[in-house]
Parts: sequence; C-alpha cells; structure tokens
Amino acid sequence: MPRGLWTTTVGSFPKPPHIERARNQHARGEISAEKLFELEREATIQVIRDQEEIGLEILVDGELYRGDMTTFFAERMEGFAISNPVRSYGNRYYRKPIAVGPIRRKSAWTVDWWKFAQSLTTKPVKGMLTGPYTMMDWSFNEHYPSREALAMDLAEAIREEALALEAAGAKYIQVDEPAVSVRPEELKLAVRALGRAVEGLKAKTITHICYGDFDVIYPAMLDLPVDMIDLEMANSRYDLLERFRANPFTKEIGYGVLDVHSHRVETKEEVKRGILRGLEFLKPEQMYIDPDCGLKTRTVEEAKEKLRVMVAAVREVRQEQGITA
Amino acid sequence: MKIETTLSGSYPKLPTEPGALNVRVVRNRMDQGKATERDLSEAIVETTRRVLALQDSAGIDIPVDGQVAWDDEQTYVARALQGFEIAGLIRYLDTNTYYRQPEIVGPIAWTKPILVEEWKRAQGMARRPVKAVLPGPYSLYRFSKDRHYKDPAEALRDLGAAIAREVKSLEDAGATWIHFEEPWVGRARAEDAALIQAALSPVFAGRTAKTVLHVPFRAPTAVFPALCELGWSVLGLDLVGAPEAWELIPRMPHGRTVALGLIDARNTKLEDAAKVAQAVARARSKRSDLTWQLCPTASLEYLPADKAALKVSRLVEAARLASRNGG
Repeated sequence: MPRGLWTTTVGSFPKPPHIERARNQHARGEISAEKLFELEREATIQVIRDQEEIGLEILVDGELYRGDMTTFFAERMEGFAISNPVRSYGNRYYRKPIAVGPIRRKSAWTVDWWKFAQSLTTKPVKGMLTGPYTMMDWSFNEHYPSREALAMDLAEAIREEALALEAAGAKYIQVDEPAVSVRPEELKLAVRALGRAVEGLKAKTITHICYGDFDVIYPAMLDLPVDMIDLEMANSRYDLLERFRANPFTKEIGYGVLDVHSHRVETKEEVKRGILRGLEFLKPEQMYIDPDCGLKTRTVEEAKEKLRVMVAAVREVRQEQGITA
Repeated sequence: MKIETTLSGSYPKLPTEPGALNVRVVRNRMDQGKATERDLSEAIVETTRRVLALQDSAGIDIPVDGQVAWDDEQTYVARALQGFEIAGLIRYLDTNTYYRQPEIVGPIAWTKPILVEEWKRAQGMARRPVKAVLPGPYSLYRFSKDRHYKDPAEALRDLGAAIAREVKSLEDAGATWIHFEEPWVGRARAEDAALIQAALSPVFAGRTAKTVLHVPFRAPTAVFPALCELGWSVLGLDLVGAPEAWELIPRMPHGRTVALGLIDARNTKLEDAAKVAQAVARARSKRSDLTWQLCPTASLEYLPADKAALKVSRLVEAARLASRNGG
C-alpha cells in the first residue's frame, strides 16, 4: 500500500490578539521582554496543542515570536540595521533590513524556540529559516559590492544556524526562498546560495516558494538543492500542474491546498479535488499537503478551521485511494 | 541649461515627524470601526498636501501627488475601467511589494474620469505643474490575467484607447504633464513591439500635454526602435538598475527629453551629488540636441519615508550642480 500525503503547514500561525497587543506594548516599552517571552511561550504551547488536536503530522512552532520573515533574522545578525517601515501592499508595511557591514551570525536565532516546541510533542517539528537569496533580495545593501557577495555571506550565517538546528535534533529543516520566483536570471545564484546554506545537512531539507511567475523558473527551479519544494497550488487554481505534464516534478512537493489570503474556509470537497488533481501528476509519497503559505494573515479560528478541512480531506483521499500515512 | 527634476509613481505615505497625521493609523482605526470614511478622506488629502509640500520645499520642478489613495500601482485605475475585476495578491515583479491582480472579464472600456478630481485637488495644493501618473496600458495588460480576449492585440488596443480617454480628461482638466509607468516595456522582447505600439500609440497621439514614458528596472533595448516611433515627450530610463540603458541615449530620436534615473529608488544608500552630476554630464556629452531631466529610478515608495526625503533633497542638489556645470 503506498504511503504519502503527509500533512504539515508552511510556517507561521496567526498571532492571537493578546500576543499582537503584547508585542505592541513591548515596542512602546510598556511591558518587559521577559513578560512578552512568557506570553509567546504560552501561546506556542497552544499552537502545538492545536496542531496535534487537528491531526497534523509534521508540526511547526508557529513563529509567534517573529515579526517579518527577514527582519527577525536580520535583527539577530551582525552587519544589519533595520529601516523605518516600507509599504508592501495597501496598508501593510514592514521594516526592511539594511546591510551596513559584514554579515555574521552572532548567536543562535531559532534553536531554543525549536527545542522548546519539540519538547512539547512527539511529532517532528520543522526548523524554519529564511534563505540567503531572499534575505539578500529583500534587504537594502549599503555595504557589499554585489548582490552575490551579500547572498553568499548570508548563506554562511544561515548554514551555521541550520547545522545548529540539526545538531539539536531537527529532522526537517525548511529554508524559505520566496524571492526565487521573480528574477529567473539569478536562479543560479539562488541555487548556489541555498546550496551552501544546506550543504552537508542530513535532515530533510525543504524550501518554500510562492507568489511569483513559475512560467519563467520552471523546470529550472528543480535545480534548487533541497529534498522538497513547497509551492502554492490553490492560489493559482492548480495551474502549476499543467507545467508538470511536460516536465515532471522530480522532488518531493509541499502541495498548497488552502488560499491563505482568503477568509473563506475551503470545503472538504474542493480540497479533495485539488489533491486528486495532484495525484494525476505526482506520486503520493512525493506529496506533503499544506496551505499555500504561512497562516499569519488569517485569524486563529480561520486558520484552525481551514486546517481541519485540509486534514479531513487528506484522510478521505487516503482512504479512498488506499494510501497510508 | 537647467536640468529639471521630477519623481515617478508613488511616494511614501508615512510621516517622518512624530505626531503628524498618519494615514496608516487612520486605515487601521477604520478597520477597527474607530474611524470613518470621512476621516480617511481627510487623511489622504492631508498626506497628499504633505507629499507635495515636501517636493515644493526641496525644489522639485514637476511634482507628483504620491498616489496616496492607491493600494498598488495597478488596481486603482483597473477597477475603475469597464471589463476588469480584481483578484488575488501577487508579487509586483522583483520588488517584494504586491498588487491585486486585475482580471479582464469583458470588453475594456473607459466610462468616467478616474483621476481627474484628485489631480485637480493636488494641483490646487501645488505651485508647480503636478504630473498626473497612470499605469501604462502595456504593463497594465501584462500585470493582468486576460480571461476575455482571444487576441492580446485586440485587448491592448481597447486598453490603450481606454487609457487615452482618461488622458484626454486630464488634459481637459488642465494637466500639462502626463506620466505612464511602463515596467513591462523593459521586459519586452523584439516580437512584442507591435503589441506595445498597439497599446501606446493612442495614449501619445495628438496630446497637448507633455508625456513621459517611464521604464523602470530594465532597459527597453529590445523594443527601442518601436518606442522611438511613438510620440512621447520624455523617455525615463533606469540607469542604476539597468546600466545597459546608457546605450540607448545615443540612439534617442532628435530633440526629445531623457529623464535620467540616477537616484536609486530601491536602495537606501545615499548618492553622492557630485557623482550624479558627473553622470548627467556624461549623458549630455553623448547628445547635444536632447534635453534632460533628473529623476529617481522608480517610485520612491520602495524606500522608508525618511530615506525617500533624503533622496529627494539629493536629487535636487545633484540637478543644480549638473545645471551649473552644464552652463
């Protein structure tokens, strides 16, 4: 009997309102870092409980202690300053890293959080990092002579963290590279930088790519030196599958079935249809089922409800298709 | 000869001074039910006033209104045209900003003025002519998903005609400068030339206003001969992100204007005014029959507000230096 269709998520979970409030209070100096940390740990315990209750098989720590996916890491590295807010869309803003000196890893960024999350469950918890190409592309650069030089120094720093996560026991290490999809002419640089970041890891390596033009980077993106590439499928109405017809997808795939930018909770039937369409092109043992992207833009209840539907759909497809976990 | 200064696209909306009216805060309060549509409108007007005042005090010759009410560079205009619906978020090229993707679901047509009232309001706040900024029809099409037309040329003709109607409305209202933001023209291949002409011919033909075709991020080398046949007054080039655009300057049609994008809108590192002035001199040395503007490479909204303001000042400083040096 084939195995496959393991369930997981891409990384972030919604911050509960009391955590958002506490982060704002901390930014204004109204509560201490210790108090915020205590609240984030309590909320992380809840995120692990929620994932277990929903029935997910590969868990994440939920990243409740992180803000933006580049700024969080840049704040912990030597060589970065952080800008004032820059707009990303509409009324959404983020503080962008500025490379102002040589980039170095001063100390662990996520290892303690990973250890804490893993201590709460017997299921595997993924180590979650942002990749060197994306960190470079989403930063201002006032120091390095080239994009390549910045990306490769970032790769060294990220590699140290990835090795530390593996040494701590992480069996899955995800190094996200969403920026890869927008500059096809730099795909080789992305491959080289990501390759250095994951070089020598024995853990299963994953990268997540989203919201770009896959016409221009597929199938070349299969050169990314990881075991699994995680992709948004639902947001593009599973259009990506047509590309797999001409050029089969040769790696494991994180197969996104939930639109994380929509409040609407998908029906079990539509998620099942999406998975079944994927099974026309992919083997079940290649497929890890998850949302299109991080869930931080949804409310806690929306995220949980979407994930419940996803897990129920996977269970039914497994049963109907004779697939085991 | 004076080097005129101008900006392109949108400008950071957040204030740099603590306590100043902040449109982001007002929008958040509106989402929480604590502010009204009227509060938001007032915040947009006041932010526009601030953006124009900043340009005025810096000495920008042809200011823009900053597109304060726009969520992104496409949808504000697309949603006002017949034939479009607005769909999910998608990344805006390689900028790590996003836009909602317009979907073409029926015949494209202009039905009413889109930007005229806000342009008039902005012009009423400014001492100098305010440049109206529109998404170029070719790029708007390329940013959209076409679910209606079978032939892109037909879609581009309709879209070009619709944008041309809006341009006419702006001219009738008194606009003397119209700017088209066309990032996709820099990504076009030689075989796209006919499509670009189909889209852009109607927006440049018979204009009374001066028109700017601005191509950020990449050089429009592949379609440059086709661009030269169009009736724009100014071609804006990104000479930082696409240094190969320098090679287009000697090939420019006689007597036109080049907007030299020499202030990097995508990096916080502040330029040296003397070096920028030297680059202007280098451009002038290539062609004595052209006139010149100095501008950022793209919209300054890719920068935080404090850095954008510094870039505006540096832009004017460099232009003054270049004007003096050029005699």
